[in-house]
Amino acid sequence: MAPDHEHIRPDGGIDTLDPPPIDILTEDTLEPETLAENAPRLETVVELLNRPALARVYIYICYWGPVTPPEAMEALDLSKSTAYEYVDRLVDLSLVDRDDSTRPQQLTADPIIIVEQYVPIVITPTVLHALALQEVDEDIKYFVDRYGLGKLIAALRGAGLHFAGKTTQRMVASDIDVRETEAMMIIYALKPALAVGREHDPFFEYLFPDVHDEMDLPDLDEIAGAPTDSSDPDR
Amino acid sequence: MGRDTPLSADQDVLVDANIFYAIGQPSNPQYQRFRRAIQHADVVCKLPRRVIGELGGSETDRVRTALDKGWAEIIDAPSPTDGDAVAASDIARRTIASETTKAEHEVEKTDAILAGLVIQYVRDRSTTGVVVLTDDQPARKGIENAVRAQGYTDAITVYGLADIIGDDPGDSMRLI
Repeated sequence: MAPDHEHIRPDGGIDTLDPPPIDILTEDTLEPETLAENAPRLETVVELLNRPALARVYIYICYWGPVTPPEAMEALDLSKSTAYEYVDRLVDLSLVDRDDSTRPQQLTADPIIIVEQYVPIVITPTVLHALALQEVDEDIKYFVDRYGLGKLIAALRGAGLHFAGKTTQRMVASDIDVRETEAMMIIYALKPALAVGREHDPFFEYLFPDVHDEMDLPDLDEIAGAPTDSSDPDR
Repeated sequence: MGRDTPLSADQDVLVDANIFYAIGQPSNPQYQRFRRAIQHADVVCKLPRRVIGELGGSETDRVRTALDKGWAEIIDAPSPTDGDAVAASDIARRTIASETTKAEHEVEKTDAILAGLVIQYVRDRSTTGVVVLTDDQPARKGIENAVRAQGYTDAITVYGLADIIGDDPGDSMRLI
């Protein structure tokens, strides 16, 4: 599905009241069998959205993988029991694949995406990364506590436009209805999610169809500890 | 590290609020590079009250820290009344609208007025050298166009953060 420019807005679609067209769901998409297949995926994403610490482990494995559990433990500064608890949960959710044929085990994770164009909702690795950063970044924590995830996604989109020179920070503040200084704060706090996402999130263009290759951000090659293997062989 | 910066003690340095956020928290290497550049040049960042708004939310703590440490101060720059200054704000507004493909009336007032404030500052203080710092590309182009169009290129220089401390090498970013 091609990204639809019209439906991705700096305000993230908050307060959108227009219901989607009645015919977007068909008998085929409403087959109980199809609904049942999609249900686990929905639960999975809801759990990630509600547990930023879990999302952080998922994103680490997704971007840095294959990695071993001890590597994840060290990189994320987690206790051994916490790290294994999260990895077990991610394996249960089928988000992480654990290769038991090697010692230590190798963990990998496929990137996930959910796009609902009518609301709109965009959940991509970059979005989950932004959410997960609240575990280690007090500015993002403050913003999510005060405004919630929907505005964080809106701020992420605004930050991308800012780093591409397509909007001013005060316009972002006005678009998403936060104080100017709060917009400035969150735009810079989201820089790591954008810098890593544009290199390693294969779905980056869904959130930034217009500016994905125009952002002025630090080059990951220069940063110690940045993920190296791209999950997108085209880059 | 002795990096050369374009700042010197005989200039007034007017900054947009975003500079305080672009450099991060005081523990951030970017912050330290910037503070060193300011102190090394023996200048104080002048932050127009109009541009920062009310200090109050906890997100403004870092601005207050810079004020407390003495390398920044809030100035009461008057709204532009001088003809050149008013025209400068109009030029900045048009430039920002064009850069962001928005209608002129959608441009935030504060983004556009910074150009006027700077020129008004030069007129009022009859100072010879003013540096303006902003980390916003469209706003920066707006000020540059306004300064050029109104013939103040000798008195006013516009810089981004990278001109003062170099490009962000990303060494201050926590990636995960």
